[in-house]
Amino acid sequence: MDPSLPSVILFILIGYVLSSFDNRHHNVTRRYDYCVLGAGPAGLQMGYFLSKARRNYVILERNSGPGSFFNKYPRHRKLISINKIYTGRGNREFNLRHDWNSLLSDKPDLLFKRVSDDFYPPADAFPQYLSLFVGELGLRVQYGVDVGRIRAVQSATGRHYILTDQHASDYTCSVLLVATGLWVPHTVDFVGADLVEGYESISTNPDDYKDQAVLILGKGNSAFETAQSILGRASRVHMLSSSPVRLAWQTHYVGDLRAVNNELIDTYQLKSLDGLAEARLEKIVIAQQKEEGKRRLGGKKKEKRKQLYLTLNKYMHSRNSFDATQEELPGHHIDNFPMRKPYDRVIRCLGFRFNFSIFDSSACPPNSENAKGRLPELTPWYEGKNTPGLFVLGTASHSRDYRSSAGGFVHGFRYTARAVHRLLEHRYHRNAWPSTQLLATHLQSWILKRVDEASGPYQMFEVLGDVILLRGSHCEYLEEFPLQALPQLSSLSGHDVSMHGLIVVVMQYGKKKIDYLGRSRAETEWTNAWKSNFLHPVLYYYKTLPSVEEMKLRPNGWPLPRPQAIHHIVEDFLTEWDAPISHIQPLRRFLEHCLQTDLRAFYAESCFHLSLTHRMPPLFCQQGYLKQQGIPRNSQLRQRVHDAGLTHTEQDVGTSDADSTFPNYLAPAGASVSSGLKLDL
Amino acid sequence: MMWMCVTVFLLWMRSGRCTDKANTSDLIEYTAADFYEKLHSGKMMFIYFEHQVSPTISLFLVELEKSVEALQDYGVLVGKVNCNKELVYTYCAEEQLLHTAFLFRGGKEFLSFDLDTIFDVNSIVSEVLFAILRDEIKYVHTDADLLAMEKAARGKKDIVLGYVCSLGTQEHRSIMETAYVYGSKYQFILITGGPVLKHLGVNESSPSSRVWFLHCRVHSGFMTPMTSERCPLTRMRKPLSTLSLHSFLQLMEAPLVTEVYDDPSSVQPPQFPYQQTPQVFLFSHPATEHLDLDTATTLAWRLRGLALLLLVHRQSPAVKTLDEYNAAYRLPEKSLEVKYLTLNSLDEVLVLFADQEKDEEEEEEDEEDNEGKLDDEIAAAVFENRGTLSDMDSVTQLTSDNFHSAVAQSGLTVVLFYLKWDAVSMAFLSSFIEVAERLADSEVNKVQMSVVDCSEWTDLCAAQPGSAVPFQPITAFPSVLLLHPQHPAQHFRGMLGSESLHRFIMISRVASPVRLSTLEEVQSFLLEVPHPELAGYQLDRVVGLFEAQTQTAAFTEAAKSLRGDALTGLLTDELAEKWAADHTVDLPAVLVFPSWRTHTHPFTLPASSSAEELLTHINTALLHPMPELTVENLPSFLLLGKALLLLFVGEEEDKIGRRQNQALVKEMRTLVESEGETMERYLACWIHLGRTPAGMSVLGSYVGSMPPLPALVLTHLPSGDQIYQYPPNTPIVASSVLHWLQRVEDGTESPTGLLDEDSWPPAFEFYDFLKIMDMQEPDSAQQQTPKEEEEEVNVKEHVVVEDMTGDNRHAHSEL
Repeated sequence: MDPSLPSVILFILIGYVLSSFDNRHHNVTRRYDYCVLGAGPAGLQMGYFLSKARRNYVILERNSGPGSFFNKYPRHRKLISINKIYTGRGNREFNLRHDWNSLLSDKPDLLFKRVSDDFYPPADAFPQYLSLFVGELGLRVQYGVDVGRIRAVQSATGRHYILTDQHASDYTCSVLLVATGLWVPHTVDFVGADLVEGYESISTNPDDYKDQAVLILGKGNSAFETAQSILGRASRVHMLSSSPVRLAWQTHYVGDLRAVNNELIDTYQLKSLDGLAEARLEKIVIAQQKEEGKRRLGGKKKEKRKQLYLTLNKYMHSRNSFDATQEELPGHHIDNFPMRKPYDRVIRCLGFRFNFSIFDSSACPPNSENAKGRLPELTPWYEGKNTPGLFVLGTASHSRDYRSSAGGFVHGFRYTARAVHRLLEHRYHRNAWPSTQLLATHLQSWILKRVDEASGPYQMFEVLGDVILLRGSHCEYLEEFPLQALPQLSSLSGHDVSMHGLIVVVMQYGKKKIDYLGRSRAETEWTNAWKSNFLHPVLYYYKTLPSVEEMKLRPNGWPLPRPQAIHHIVEDFLTEWDAPISHIQPLRRFLEHCLQTDLRAFYAESCFHLSLTHRMPPLFCQQGYLKQQGIPRNSQLRQRVHDAGLTHTEQDVGTSDADSTFPNYLAPAGASVSSGLKLDL
Repeated sequence: MMWMCVTVFLLWMRSGRCTDKANTSDLIEYTAADFYEKLHSGKMMFIYFEHQVSPTISLFLVELEKSVEALQDYGVLVGKVNCNKELVYTYCAEEQLLHTAFLFRGGKEFLSFDLDTIFDVNSIVSEVLFAILRDEIKYVHTDADLLAMEKAARGKKDIVLGYVCSLGTQEHRSIMETAYVYGSKYQFILITGGPVLKHLGVNESSPSSRVWFLHCRVHSGFMTPMTSERCPLTRMRKPLSTLSLHSFLQLMEAPLVTEVYDDPSSVQPPQFPYQQTPQVFLFSHPATEHLDLDTATTLAWRLRGLALLLLVHRQSPAVKTLDEYNAAYRLPEKSLEVKYLTLNSLDEVLVLFADQEKDEEEEEEDEEDNEGKLDDEIAAAVFENRGTLSDMDSVTQLTSDNFHSAVAQSGLTVVLFYLKWDAVSMAFLSSFIEVAERLADSEVNKVQMSVVDCSEWTDLCAAQPGSAVPFQPITAFPSVLLLHPQHPAQHFRGMLGSESLHRFIMISRVASPVRLSTLEEVQSFLLEVPHPELAGYQLDRVVGLFEAQTQTAAFTEAAKSLRGDALTGLLTDELAEKWAADHTVDLPAVLVFPSWRTHTHPFTLPASSSAEELLTHINTALLHPMPELTVENLPSFLLLGKALLLLFVGEEEDKIGRRQNQALVKEMRTLVESEGETMERYLACWIHLGRTPAGMSVLGSYVGSMPPLPALVLTHLPSGDQIYQYPPNTPIVASSVLHWLQRVEDGTESPTGLLDEDSWPPAFEFYDFLKIMDMQEPDSAQQQTPKEEEEEVNVKEHVVVEDMTGDNRHAHSEL
């Protein structure tokens, strides 16, 4: 893991020279329909889908085992993705909502809980789980293949990607699925950056920080994880980054600071020597104080570590040297400057970036506009911008929902990988996006089933949503379609939108900043459902597919453009949206509005009446009663009617039941008969 | 004003009187001479020409008698002419006029009325007045028509808008009587429901009769809460009667806001005719005089029809009310006491009076508050029974884990797949459990009744529990499967009730087909019931006769799909030949023994090569040619797509009645059998209202009221939506029915009604969140405009950055 970049480039250069020879020498045809780059969780997840569809695929991995990132990271060896084993439910789909580590497969027991029962599992459990996953599903992974160069070739048969490994072997792939993750440590350029240690190489032994003042650059989970580990040894821990801490439990974004890592907030707020501050890292300088007169050459290990000062660009006379004079330190200018005291260590914990370096310009997706350009820019269906046939999966695909949903995390991207696979199946094999055909009268129950259990839209809220294509008396139900690709639904899924329009079911959080633990944090009244703050289902009804333009101009904070009609199902404390009055009936009325038909259920007796007084009874009667599946109002088993009487008008000898009179069993009903005469005028 | 009082008195007196006197006064019987004299005098007359008196007619005559006085007030003479004594030409001559009454005006016949539409005093009065006023009262069907009327009336006349849920009722009569009195003052409009009702904010499926007052006369400068295009409207809240309508109309004439300079306690209580109306006082300060008047006017509009509003000018020295109070009210008939209040919002006043009204219109309030109530009959029933949980002991709960072992253990596993939030599932679950208990009680072994909760075992229901299951993913709930080991799953496709499920399971236990190898077995198959639990059920039997085993494929296939519905038997080889010879059929053959025929008269079907075709033939053969329609069997007969010739018979009270009904059905049967070809177009059938009470409301809606029984109706004609009723009181005899059918076909019969519209728009308005958002947070739900968008892309990130750099002064924030 993590070889230095120059050596990779060297390999490529050598490999390039040798490549043609090498290929002939090995005499192996390395042509694949699908190449998956990386045997991490995303690569293996895609591998499973390709394997299940019996596609010609290979997973290339440069290390000797799957998920090698997790052999090193997180440095303090505790995963913060929850592993909730006990949910009180047997619903496997529902349980995945609270299992953030497992990958999807059709083996019900191939779950992460087999390798760990810790709620926050040890990091070593993850590669172990991935090995299990590869083994039990028999995925085709080639380890030790270090692809150093990727280029695109346009030929008569179409576009291909050619991958060259460290032995200069080429792999020709029709479709390239890049699941390399993020592992290049992200750095920021400032004076003194060389004096800073990186998260990737710091000591994880707290005793090494005894009585030291530590400045951590960054306020993400790795920064806080580091801070937390040294809290009991370091003298003071300060954390610095451009933006204030974002708490995951407030932003609902799991990439923000999780409560499991937030001990330093506690010690900061209780004024126990730790602290947080904000500054743009581009403007800071980490400096050593010039010691005039007593000049010594520093840098020897045995010598006492030099103290590091934080100062700002604007105070520095020289832009390049990190030796600072007294006047260049901030304390000289502002006598109560918060960080005026020196640090023993400065640690950079700024996360990772995508490794763009292996892509030839013909195959390189552009840098994303968000996430400080650390990620590749992708289409709504995870294809690289300008690189058709090259898809990015896993954490590297997070530019699509950076800071908003879970696409950068296993429990989110396992679903986007499935979505990508579904559209690959359509694009390259003409298998339309899988769908369930439902009668219109069964739609409501099906929607409730999905919002009550489905894990994909729940994790990938506002990114993946179920699409219901209305077809009059029935509909097609498509699961987990990438919402931003809705304008291209027909071409991507192979399903057309009819004149009846479509409904999109999305899980959404409220967008208002509220007092997250305050009294009015939750709505319970269904008529205020649109003000729900917690995750809740929202249904959008469109008569036609929204255009790309409409998608762009969607209302602020909305995942989709303004629809013809919208329905919020009010947030629920238990996330069980099955209350007859508050959840179900308002949903039915919304569906009735979209379908322009009465969707109520009727007893057989009512259907009988409506069938005789109309040419066609309401839909429920058409789809149930008229198909001889009516619901009788009362169970009649106990007082079963012995049908005799007038139906036996043919009186033949030998009929066992020759009684031709009307039985009198209904005598008590007489009263209701006469009163019935005045009804229903 | 005096004239008004007289009217009220008149209306009031009459309503008290009519019932007492009806029995004693005789209906005026006109001689021919009288009749002609009155006719030529140009008087309005409502006359019935009596031929012979049947029970229906005599009932009508009693009602006609009651209407004499009522109509007299409106200048209409009511009477009858006895044609048996002397003939009045044409009216006495024609038999079919037996069922008609006539209105004469200006010496001419003005209009004729079918007795069906004028069945009691209310319908007589309302229909006659309606006829007289038909130029003045407008009918409005659409909202656009109403808008046009409003525009026409604007500045000239106020509109009284009435909706009656059915014609000929007391409500209809009240509107007509009022229209007669006020017709020149207001424009009266009747609406027919549908879109206009929606505009008026009525969303119930079967609203009650109502009246609205549309204030179109007021000039446009008037401050109104309505849009400028429409006339502001006030709904009459009291139940509709002549008196309430009258006082409502008077209240509409009352000034909106009365300004007074006295203390509320010394303001006079409302004078006639408003003495029953509460007074509400608001106070005005000189400084805010205009504002106060506006507020008062706004409130007055909302209180219109409920209370009178008075604005008290505080600057007047006579006003003694303490400053802390800003409102007061006085209720009618509760002494002269004035109650003082301090209001925070105007709504509090409304609540006050809405509460007053509550007792009167509790029912209505309930209807309007349909948001908190379930409007789906099955969902509501399930919701109501939510406290009584079904005892699941008698059923096995299958899970993804125990499914295979449980199914393997039993010869027949019946599985119900359900969703706990699906009302239909839950309604059926209790029937399912009932069957399970019944089977357990009767010790029917080897049937395992089991349920799968698909909200929990989602992978099992999706047929993906990790290993193969013998069924396809379940997408419709509830679904019932019958699983026999080593056989594909069988779907239960019958009524979702305990009886039909029980029957299906019991029949399914028998092999399908049963291989019959001796004559005794054949006899027992045809005559005996395979299990005592099946006694009492109607059993259809089908027997296949084949020379050789090799020919039986299609039949066996068909028998498999009939499993649970019918008993099937298979005879082959010598036995088949022998049996065929005895019964003179040619092999191969399929014999169908419907339950309604005896085993000696089976239908013989040619053995077809395709199971599907064979099934169609079998199912057709099983249909009774002249069935008794029940809730359960109607769908299979509707599938035929024929017109329904529907005989309704009532419940018999005694043997005679029973015999009569039997004779009727037999007569119809004769008709079907003797007129095979003509009758081919119709499905003759009958409904026994005792056994199928649901038929009663059907008949009611066909003919508008409950006719005497038996009743014969022709409906569901392929050619149109007309419903024809065979003349009541005409004996139902095959030949005359046939003639009647002929007349219907020739178009010489007039329909009694129409089938209702087939469109089923949503019965309730959905809650329009977009509208609410647009109202409460106007821009939040709007698409962005293209210009903004350019900047929008980076705004968020910039903002963060800007904030940080701009935040210099805050400690810990910027260094």
